[in-house]
Amino acid sequence: MSNSILESGTPGTEAAATVMSMQQALNRALDEVLAENPKTVIFGEDCGRLGGVFRITDGLQAKHGTQRVFDTPLAESGILGMSVGLAMAGFHPIPEVQFDGFAYPAVNQIVCQIARMNYRSRGTLPMPITLRVPSFGGIRAPEHHGESLEALFAHVPGLKVVSPSNPHEAYHLLKYAATRPDPVIFMEPKSRYWQKGEVDTDSADAGGGAPTGAKVMREGRHLTLVAWGAMVARCLQVAELAAEDGIEIEVLDLRWLKPIDAASLAASVRKTRRAVVVHEAPLTSGLGAEVAQLITQACFSTLKAPVERVTGFDVPYPSGDLEDEYIPNIDRILFGIQRVLEYKRG
Amino acid sequence: MAELSFPLPDLGEGLIEATVLEWLVAPGDQVERNQPLVEVETTKSAVELPSPQAGKVVRIHGGPGDRINVGEPLIVFEVPDNTAGIVGTVPTEEAPKRRVRLSAVLDED
Repeated sequence: MSNSILESGTPGTEAAATVMSMQQALNRALDEVLAENPKTVIFGEDCGRLGGVFRITDGLQAKHGTQRVFDTPLAESGILGMSVGLAMAGFHPIPEVQFDGFAYPAVNQIVCQIARMNYRSRGTLPMPITLRVPSFGGIRAPEHHGESLEALFAHVPGLKVVSPSNPHEAYHLLKYAATRPDPVIFMEPKSRYWQKGEVDTDSADAGGGAPTGAKVMREGRHLTLVAWGAMVARCLQVAELAAEDGIEIEVLDLRWLKPIDAASLAASVRKTRRAVVVHEAPLTSGLGAEVAQLITQACFSTLKAPVERVTGFDVPYPSGDLEDEYIPNIDRILFGIQRVLEYKRG
Repeated sequence: MAELSFPLPDLGEGLIEATVLEWLVAPGDQVERNQPLVEVETTKSAVELPSPQAGKVVRIHGGPGDRINVGEPLIVFEVPDNTAGIVGTVPTEEAPKRRVRLSAVLDED
């Protein structure tokens, strides 16, 4: 049920769905973008000869050449600074920052140049840059390899932020992001890279529209779980378990973290009247606060309880051994749901 | 499974080549990270090269007496497709476990 869109194709037609991992889906999307747009260039640490530490750019240099897929020095500020120059010269760069925590040295280029150049130049220098960032935790890696930077980037005017939750979403969201005239921060949930799923390369969403907003991954009528990235799969597991207790949970994959699809949030919660938002990032000033406000604004009179947040903690992201204590697990999400279910107006 | 080629690394001091003295592993062997792979001789010294990673040996390049340039293929490993890369581990897919049960009186007003 995690891919409800795949089951709602036109009756009698065979969907062009193939099973692949998120790694393979991203690789295929990049391969196609390189083929379709001769201005596309891909670069980053180990992106060229090695094919990326997660093999997302595997084989692309051999196929498309060293002029279009290449390695950079170990200097994130330079990777993003070069992206600015390439974009000014008419290229469509798809740089990679190898891990979330390595994006900090590049924040100056991202915030002060990439996000503002279009505005500063009165629209004459758009920045069609898709910055790929393997993000979030879950692979028991050391410091700087498990961070969630969506709120930081979502706060910057001029940037768009998106995160896929499964191979199908990864393929379509990356292809879509790469065709945008604006800079997009593309946050890949690294703990889901190896997970396989059906990818319908023909159509992103039922109806054939562009993958622009949030998406209902499971329908329910008692409570809406809002999540993105790796937490979507966990919320789908929670919804399955909640059903054993007679609670029907709707799971909304936010997909775009800037801009947030407020209309889909409102439509879901008007129906369920209860909401819990789940993210790996720390609680304070996390994106969950923004989601809670958008829901409250649209659904204040119909809400049965305040919007609950189940998140990471306000501490530096812990190293691998403590990861399970930090990332919202099934029981913590169920506790959050229970708090909403038993809320009584004072 | 995927193949991963390991080229002769830069052995330092501006050396551009090395001569194979003796292979310590053979195709088909399962090797561990840091296990000695081959003894090579440069104009400075004879050294054992440790394996950069665990894996099964698919091919070795050059027999005793052959010269190999730095950067040319030395040995090829077979590695699982789903290796995590340089850091971290591939998460295992576990059946969801729970301790918390939900209870609610859901009025449908």
